[in-house]
Amino acid sequence: MTPTDAIPLLQARGLSFLRADEPVFGPLDFALHAGELALVEGDNGSGKTTLLRLLAGLLHVGEGELRWRGRGWNRDERAGDVLFLGHQLGLKMDMSPRENLRIAAGLHGTRSGRTAASVLIQVGLAGYEDEPVRRLSAGQKKRAALARLLLLPAVLWLLDEPYANLDRAGIALVNQLLEEHIAGGGAALVTSHGAVSFHGGEPKRIRMHG
Amino acid sequence: MSKWIPLWLHKLGSPPIFYRFAGTLRPWFLGLALVAGAVALYGGLALAPADYQQGDAYRIIFIHVPSAWMGLFIYGVMAVASFVALVWRIKLAEAVAMESAPIGAAFTFITLVTGSLWGKPMWGTWWTWDARLTSELVLLFLYLGVIGLYHAFEDRRQGARAAAFLAIIGIINVPIVHFSVNWWNTLHQGSTVRILGPSKISASMLWPLLTMMVATKLYYVASLFGRVRADLLELESGKDWVRRIATENSVPGEQA
Amino acid sequence: MNQASLPRACAEVLRRDLTLAWRRRGDIAMPVLYALIVATLFPFALGPEDALLQRIAGGVVLVTVLLAMLLALDAMFRSDIEDGSLEQLVLAPQPLALMLAMKILAHWLTTALPLIVVAPLLAGMLHLPLAVMGVLLLALLMATPMLSLLGAVLVALTAGTRRSGMLLALMLLPLCVPVVIFAAGAVAAAQQGLPWVAPIAWLGAALALALVLAPLACAAALRIALDA
Repeated sequence: MTPTDAIPLLQARGLSFLRADEPVFGPLDFALHAGELALVEGDNGSGKTTLLRLLAGLLHVGEGELRWRGRGWNRDERAGDVLFLGHQLGLKMDMSPRENLRIAAGLHGTRSGRTAASVLIQVGLAGYEDEPVRRLSAGQKKRAALARLLLLPAVLWLLDEPYANLDRAGIALVNQLLEEHIAGGGAALVTSHGAVSFHGGEPKRIRMHG
Repeated sequence: MSKWIPLWLHKLGSPPIFYRFAGTLRPWFLGLALVAGAVALYGGLALAPADYQQGDAYRIIFIHVPSAWMGLFIYGVMAVASFVALVWRIKLAEAVAMESAPIGAAFTFITLVTGSLWGKPMWGTWWTWDARLTSELVLLFLYLGVIGLYHAFEDRRQGARAAAFLAIIGIINVPIVHFSVNWWNTLHQGSTVRILGPSKISASMLWPLLTMMVATKLYYVASLFGRVRADLLELESGKDWVRRIATENSVPGEQA
Repeated sequence: MNQASLPRACAEVLRRDLTLAWRRRGDIAMPVLYALIVATLFPFALGPEDALLQRIAGGVVLVTVLLAMLLALDAMFRSDIEDGSLEQLVLAPQPLALMLAMKILAHWLTTALPLIVVAPLLAGMLHLPLAVMGVLLLALLMATPMLSLLGAVLVALTAGTRRSGMLLALMLLPLCVPVVIFAAGAVAAAQQGLPWVAPIAWLGAALALALVLAPLACAAALRIALDA
């Protein structure tokens, strides 16, 4: 258990985002500590994706306040600490999973002891390392994107629908990745419609106001 | 001093207050613009003497020159409002910048049309690649780019921010275009025709010109106020103050 | 943990875009083909008279290259937006302006450079004197990076919109007027035996300024265009 008096990794107070002056979500209040997993729950159109894009730094804070490690919310403070995996996987279709990972590693650096080859085996893409991504199935593409989470150093993962397109083994893989990440002192925010069987303790829940 | 000015500005920046403020002032600006415009036209078309070289054809400058000034002036206003909108995310500044663009484009268009009409008796052709006319044409394209980009976005405020950025790039571009077009003109034509020497203009021509300049400024403010008011109503359509205005203005029988 | 170094990040972005362009080499040939077609149409429209073609050759080649570049400009960020890799680039812990500068460099290398290579051929078809060819190439070397840099800022601004082809042309025209004037002016001056260094120097100064400012403006524009 994490001590509650420690400074949270991420803290939101009265956070909301406006589009054409209509609030897309919020106001939301939550805090996320290192070693915690939070599930973002809500119906379609409740603003789950918008929340994750905002936390990733793609959108500006509409109203309310966000703090990162107790300090202000600015890009340089968070640089390299946050990884975002959205609906669009950010993979180049004309390149192989190995090449895609190489580019990501060039931009973010890598975790010690991890290589593109080792993480591709871990996500079950052995034998497909040099196949162009366009020839992979939807589930395999997802796995190639998940490999990025393993390879790149980051504290906070923002995963938008990580279970979509995955078979049962793939879902188990995502859960395993999350458990290892949490156990290693990382934190994650995950959106999902489906039930999540997470074995690393009861996850926090962030409910979007519908 | 330093305390009440920002507060006053801050209050004016809030849409409902600006809506009321602009609504009260708009008829005055419009009325004054019409009066000043009429006086200037009378002075320019009836009182001012005919030019000994150009005859009566020169009288088009009473429209052409103030329009040309306004084309540049409004671009300047738009760029400043754009800067304010981008830095402080003020909704009113976005509305002012984006609603200035069509007015400025209209003045620039009038400048081009009157310039072309004037060119016929002067140079014997409707269009000449004169440095000033060419610069005005480029200015019109700058305006059209800003308007086009604004409307290309689905989200209006995002469109306003993108177009504001383009307006700022444009204002850097204006002097560069002016300089390069002048250089190009001397390279290809040898010399440009100078119609309006700075010292040649007589007082009887100057005062209608200056009055017209004031009239166009007043008209711009009146037109801008009207457009921004409509814009604010649309942008804030979900807010209470807009609902209140809507219920106040609706005919009682209509809702029954 | 291995930190990502800035030179490596730059090299990876450049390498990525060049590799992708190479895997779709057919697309590189398109602007070149387009320029060839446009340049061929001029003699048909104006008549094959040597003196006339000679007079307009420099300007025609410049405008043709500009239009061909405009054709390819729209694609600069298009596929990156569609597959989400632009978001990943924006979120990467690297200076975005520098990463975009690498993308612009890759774009220039894959679209403008082939056009510069065929420019002597186009100019030759229009009977541009051989003595002026050097000035034309110099003008193109100055003008095309300007267009890539200015174009990148505008493409970034339209990143949040659906269709942007015609809008891009409308926005780019006022910005490229000075570039065209000075580049064509240098060629015309050289053709008339007049000194041509001044316009080239102006272009060079503008290019130096754009090299510094355009990537920064491009990064700012991209953040505005993605923020919704």
